[in-house]
Amino acid sequence: MNQHGFILWWDRLVAMTIKELKQLIRDPVLLLIISYFFTVDVYMAGSGINLNLRNASVMVIDHDHSAASRELIYRFRQPYFDFKGEIFDTKTAESLLDQGRILAVLDIPENFQRHLLQGQTVAVQFQVDSANTVLGTLATSYATEITAGFSQDFAAKRLGPDSGQRASLPVIQNRYRVLYNPNQIDGWFMSISELLTVTTMLAMMLPAAAAVREKERGTIEQLAVSPLSSLQILLPKVISMGLVILLGVGVSLFLIIIPIFDLPVKGSLGLFFTVTGLYVFTASGIGLFVATISRSLAQVTMLVILLMMPILLLSGAWTPPEAMPQVMRWAMKISPLYYFNEMSYAILLKGAGLTILWDSLLGLALLGAVFFNFGVWRFRRQFG
Amino acid sequence: MNLTRVWAVTYKEWREILRDRLFFAMAFLLPVGIFMVLGYGISFDVEKIPFAVLDRDRSAMSRDFLHRFMDSRYFYYQGHVTSERELDPLLANSDIRFAIIIPPRFQEQLLAGQATSVQSLIDGVFPYRAEVAKGYVSAIIANFNAQSLASHLAGTQGKSREQALAQVAPLRLESRYLYNQALRSQWSISSGLMMLVLMVTPPFLTALGVVREKENGSIYNIYTSTISRSEFILGKFLPYLLISSLNILILWWVVMNIFGTPFKGHPFFYYAASVIYVICTAGVGLLLVRTQVAAVMLTMVVSFVPAMLYSGLLVPIESMAAATQFESHLFPTLYYLRITWGSFLKGLGWKELWFDVVALMLYAVILWIAGYMNFHKRPST
Repeated sequence: MNQHGFILWWDRLVAMTIKELKQLIRDPVLLLIISYFFTVDVYMAGSGINLNLRNASVMVIDHDHSAASRELIYRFRQPYFDFKGEIFDTKTAESLLDQGRILAVLDIPENFQRHLLQGQTVAVQFQVDSANTVLGTLATSYATEITAGFSQDFAAKRLGPDSGQRASLPVIQNRYRVLYNPNQIDGWFMSISELLTVTTMLAMMLPAAAAVREKERGTIEQLAVSPLSSLQILLPKVISMGLVILLGVGVSLFLIIIPIFDLPVKGSLGLFFTVTGLYVFTASGIGLFVATISRSLAQVTMLVILLMMPILLLSGAWTPPEAMPQVMRWAMKISPLYYFNEMSYAILLKGAGLTILWDSLLGLALLGAVFFNFGVWRFRRQFG
Repeated sequence: MNLTRVWAVTYKEWREILRDRLFFAMAFLLPVGIFMVLGYGISFDVEKIPFAVLDRDRSAMSRDFLHRFMDSRYFYYQGHVTSERELDPLLANSDIRFAIIIPPRFQEQLLAGQATSVQSLIDGVFPYRAEVAKGYVSAIIANFNAQSLASHLAGTQGKSREQALAQVAPLRLESRYLYNQALRSQWSISSGLMMLVLMVTPPFLTALGVVREKENGSIYNIYTSTISRSEFILGKFLPYLLISSLNILILWWVVMNIFGTPFKGHPFFYYAASVIYVICTAGVGLLLVRTQVAAVMLTMVVSFVPAMLYSGLLVPIESMAAATQFESHLFPTLYYLRITWGSFLKGLGWKELWFDVVALMLYAVILWIAGYMNFHKRPST
């Protein structure tokens, strides 16, 4: 291509991109929805979802009424548990559990204190409503910790002062460090996860909508007779929507996630935006394919939502790859969101750079090339 | 209300749905699709956590200790490393999510009756998983400690191992998991997802149906016809109610047969409650159809967020702030989730759940009145 030809090609591309942007700006409802996704939606996901157990209501059947049993009950307190009082028979306990009024019942047997003092092992029963397994698991885990603490203190008291010095006993002390999110703030994970999901949906939806709208209104015929190549028709749609999405990601990151959830960005933001750009490009390839097989916006929406599901499932956001069956783990390798997900958390939370992420980046780039070319090829066959 | 007219609209709508092949297929595929993806995609079982080991002691005891992790189904051994620096890239690349570092002189100190410490590094990107993993690690170490202490006491104080064990760990917690004995997260999630999917898809389908009428301009035929507002809304709505009622059965089947969740309640009670719930959620679709097609997306958002966040499916209601707890009682999802879990896992019926059913009925009535007020035969232009 000579220089003049290239300038002409470039000018047309720019003109079309500006046209797409203008068209978007003149659709206030769509703009509103886009900004809703990047701000309110991300905020709600980050602040609303909290998977820690707080104030789980627990009641006690105390058959012993001794100093030891009171001491144990006293340990079931906030922030994890909320002690709601005593009940006297299992019938009441069952009906309260059935109705979901309380989460757990602690049952302390008779002669609890006496047996403890005699040096026997005593078991207390903890009945927990595990209809919701997250709650059931956490409540049991905290209760186990509480009883273990009680047990240890009691043993220490009985073994006498010489065992008070723990260093003289052969035990392993567990020194754990939670990396990347030391205070285990749910908002970090949730808000980023929501941002990635929103980005995926819009990156597929917006270019597809822009393309199918031309079809619906019949303006596609005008474009087909204009001196534009299919690439010149499609690329501006991807570029303009990509710019809007990158802007949205920036807004979401700098106005919502970083200031509100105090996310410390460990890695390079430049790399993150490069990866996001590449990802938008990949996802829009899928979107263009959707646009070629549907006739109306309603169909586009349905197909996008349908496609979103396997993409989300295979992204590894909620279920990490190691928890999946082997077949699914192979399938994950063709889900673009899987790479995007890995890289986003690695860059933002773990501070990873290109040396670690090059293989994911390569995978995403390859997928992007394949998907985008496929989308353009389908479009060309339809209108070229 | 003239039932012949209602029937005419219903029949027309049904034919339209049947003729739009893509829509018809979607009406049944979409709910099941969302269901399968979320059912398999959201799993809170924390198992096979990949981990690596840095063993600075390399003794019989450290190997015995590490084998407790390797043999556990909760952990998945990925190999040894020789220096701490090797762990960072492995963790950063998510090749491992947990690392354990054993100090030098581990065995020597334990045999000498002294305390030692191991360090565990846990990937905290997903806090819930980190929390559960932490619990597993503490449990394994506590178990090791109890045995180590018991044999130490047995050696120094001349007691039997059982006595020594009772002395170091006098209290034991026996947990009984009610309603879900094996703690399978798929049981709770799959049944809970009935609530989510039936919240999201019915309004979506209704909204698409009404929007189609407006897009095609055929709504003007309705405006000029003798049909009354309530007749039109009812007639329009019945086919979608039928589709959603069938979807309840399909999803129910999937929950029981593909996810293996038991159903302990009363089938008729649950089906009736589900239909009332679907009337509510599809009614949401009638409310939202005034705007343009982009509103379809809005429908998804408006119904998805409360269903995810405020229903108690993922976020325990007790853990919410007081204001959020109040908010969560404003959405029908909370009541239906109680009915669902109550019916599937707890085996409850009308006697225990009547309040939730009445709440849903109230919702249905309010939404219907709002939908009626919202639809005008004389468009304001």
